[in-house]
Amino acid sequence: MLQNLRKALEGIVVCDFSWVGAGPIATNVLGQCGAEVIKIESKNRPDLLRTGGPFKDGIGEGLERSGYFANRNPNKKGIALDMSHPKARAVAVRLIKKSDIIINNFRVGQMEKWNLGWEDVKKINPRIIYVTMSLQGDSGPQKSYMGFGVNLNALCGLTARACFPGERPFGTGTNYTDHVMAPSHTLFGIMAALIDREKTGKGQTIAISQLKSAISMAPTSVMAYAANGDTLGPMGLGDSDAAPHGVYTTLGYRSWIAIAVFDENEWRALKKVMGNPVWAEEQRFSSMKDRKENEEELNEHIEEWTKTLYSDWLMNELLQNGVKAGIVNDARGAVEDEHLRKRGFWSYLDHPVVGNTLYNRAPIRLSKTPLRMESAAPLLGQHTTSVLTGMLDYTHEEVNSLVEEKVLI
Amino acid sequence: MNEAGSLSNLRILDFTGELGPYAAKLYAGLGADVIHIEPITGDPLRSIGPFYKNQPGTERSLQFIYYNAGKRGMALNLKEEKGREIFVELCKGADILFESFTPGYLDELGLSYDDLSAVNPRLVQTSITPFGSFGPYSTYPGSDLTCSALGGFLYLAGIENDKPVRISDNQAYRMAEVYAAVGSSIAALFAQRTGIGQFVDVSCMESVGMALETAAQCWDLEGTLRRGRGKEAGTATIHPCKDGFVVIVAIMGRNKGMWEPFVQWMKDEGVEEWELFDNDHWVEQSYRESKEAYGLFCHIFERFTMKHTKQYLYDAGQAQRVAISPVSNGKDLLENPQLIHHDFWKSVYHEPIGGEVICPGAPYVFGNLKWRLGDAVPLFGQHTAEVLGECGYSLDEIEALEKEGVVYVAKS
Repeated sequence: MLQNLRKALEGIVVCDFSWVGAGPIATNVLGQCGAEVIKIESKNRPDLLRTGGPFKDGIGEGLERSGYFANRNPNKKGIALDMSHPKARAVAVRLIKKSDIIINNFRVGQMEKWNLGWEDVKKINPRIIYVTMSLQGDSGPQKSYMGFGVNLNALCGLTARACFPGERPFGTGTNYTDHVMAPSHTLFGIMAALIDREKTGKGQTIAISQLKSAISMAPTSVMAYAANGDTLGPMGLGDSDAAPHGVYTTLGYRSWIAIAVFDENEWRALKKVMGNPVWAEEQRFSSMKDRKENEEELNEHIEEWTKTLYSDWLMNELLQNGVKAGIVNDARGAVEDEHLRKRGFWSYLDHPVVGNTLYNRAPIRLSKTPLRMESAAPLLGQHTTSVLTGMLDYTHEEVNSLVEEKVLI
Repeated sequence: MNEAGSLSNLRILDFTGELGPYAAKLYAGLGADVIHIEPITGDPLRSIGPFYKNQPGTERSLQFIYYNAGKRGMALNLKEEKGREIFVELCKGADILFESFTPGYLDELGLSYDDLSAVNPRLVQTSITPFGSFGPYSTYPGSDLTCSALGGFLYLAGIENDKPVRISDNQAYRMAEVYAAVGSSIAALFAQRTGIGQFVDVSCMESVGMALETAAQCWDLEGTLRRGRGKEAGTATIHPCKDGFVVIVAIMGRNKGMWEPFVQWMKDEGVEEWELFDNDHWVEQSYRESKEAYGLFCHIFERFTMKHTKQYLYDAGQAQRVAISPVSNGKDLLENPQLIHHDFWKSVYHEPIGGEVICPGAPYVFGNLKWRLGDAVPLFGQHTAEVLGECGYSLDEIEALEKEGVVYVAKS
């Protein structure tokens, strides 16, 4: 086979019990790298995100129109298996035997109820990587405290500083930690365990704490407090090592440009693009220290200039002159951005119900085993028959009777 | 080295600075042999605050300490021919090279992926840059803020016509780093199995695209341009309390089962006018999104929250199964009972400052692999001689290289 037709994770099989947030984002990346991801749902217990908007054309009927669900689940095969049925476990066991990874983000104890805890699963397949995800671990005084991504954003320390001075904190406006910290650490953990398995021949458990992985990527608040007793203040749009550093109004509806100047060369370049205005030569803007001290006035001057200009023209002019600048793109801007398009970040995949719809690949470009966006998110149970007969060696008759018995539902 | 419970058989070169260090830190955390290579002028991260005891100094940057603990450190001048020879020697024995040079810079020095791959076909070279190694913006300068803006992430951190706000810790960089670690591990496993290395291209602008939640789909499926949550009453709203702020998700969508425990909590606390919450119109998103609903929610709920601490509200609300959390600052995190219970905070002694620095601990627990913060933080040039020795350079040669400005060797 030609090198560039190979897939990096060819032959890796994932038994995917994960749902909603961080788990499916992680397995989505494995799928793009060539792993065979088998997502287990049931009509009696569909992935909750299937009922979360946005929906194709705003119509939230049924389980197959959610963009929230689709975004996290392309390149997977979906099987319908009702784990509460006594005969379901045997099907899961066949899949586990073929799997390299088994992942769930249920509450602690759910897998054990099905006799599919680690102790059981490692007897079925000692080479398997067994992944669990929890908000704050499975022991301790707050182990059962609950929360969504926005709760975790706040708990981990990110929200406190994401505000303007004197205002209440805002945060990212999203369930940030669910999308980034938890899935990425899950992925790295899985890969580390697979690399370790090359050496040991054995699988192992990985327990990801969403809170701890979030703090690991946002360490400064706690480090500054521990070292210096300081509580770090609001970020606003500033940066302690840059001025000007902010978001400035440009022509149009909700149009802004971000500009960041970290040294004197960049400041000179910015002045040049501004046409070397008289104000910019004043002593109070002449060094980084001066500009930090007079940052508010500096920002007013910059905005006075940007607000009569088009953000895209301005960005090009600034970038070409070596000034860090970027349009504050809304989703449409990002989807239509020339750079992201040229890099093949976005793709449209055909879905049986909602047609050609938008997805993005993981932000990893592998030169010899490129990531593939091959299939849209699965319908609930779309691949039940093909997976059971193709991969798990069931006959069509056996599948039919499991359907009749409401095991495969 | 082939220590059990670690990735000690992996050798990682980390030639990154402000953008990049968390990628190799993830490997160091599992015991890989990571060599952090600094330019002869020093890693720029060394001059970024906050600093230990608020005194700037090249060995005092808290972020440098955190991101580089557990790595070895050397200082190398790529502008010198002999520096480039050393770099090639290092790549011969490496599994992964992380670098964050402007695309094209290494190529101009004769150190392109093809050059390095020629001496080590198994090498995985991972480039972490603002915009990636190709595409119209690839050679443009970028920063955390501008990449967050261009990728559509920054826009979400605001509502209505408000300017967006920034989050801390250069998240566009962190996102790229963590995906660089993932991409490299996937390529490294492939290299172990096939002997074939490859070039891994990771950009900040694409990485922030992973954090758009539903924004791209809102546009694609419904033609709407969403911004952040923040003023839908009781759905991810932030409220002041006696000693700070709390965030609450008392309801999502039409989930009445979430709202009822909240009403019960308000009743049990004897909150004035709690009865006004006991009404089905709160289950309607359209009502909660109205100015009236948000105003009323804040009016009733904040009269209560202002009497209590974030810790009280966290414990009392969670006891009633209400998704409320403190908006933690550094002190709250350090004193967080759950994290203390898990012995999460770790410290590393750093000789030049004569003190211990407290750092975040393990993000995960494995059955076999052991996580570690690392015993030490590399001083500038601390392991230069050691690493060169491993490459076969004699002490005399190392001394000569230092005199010629090819390397910097820390005086022990």
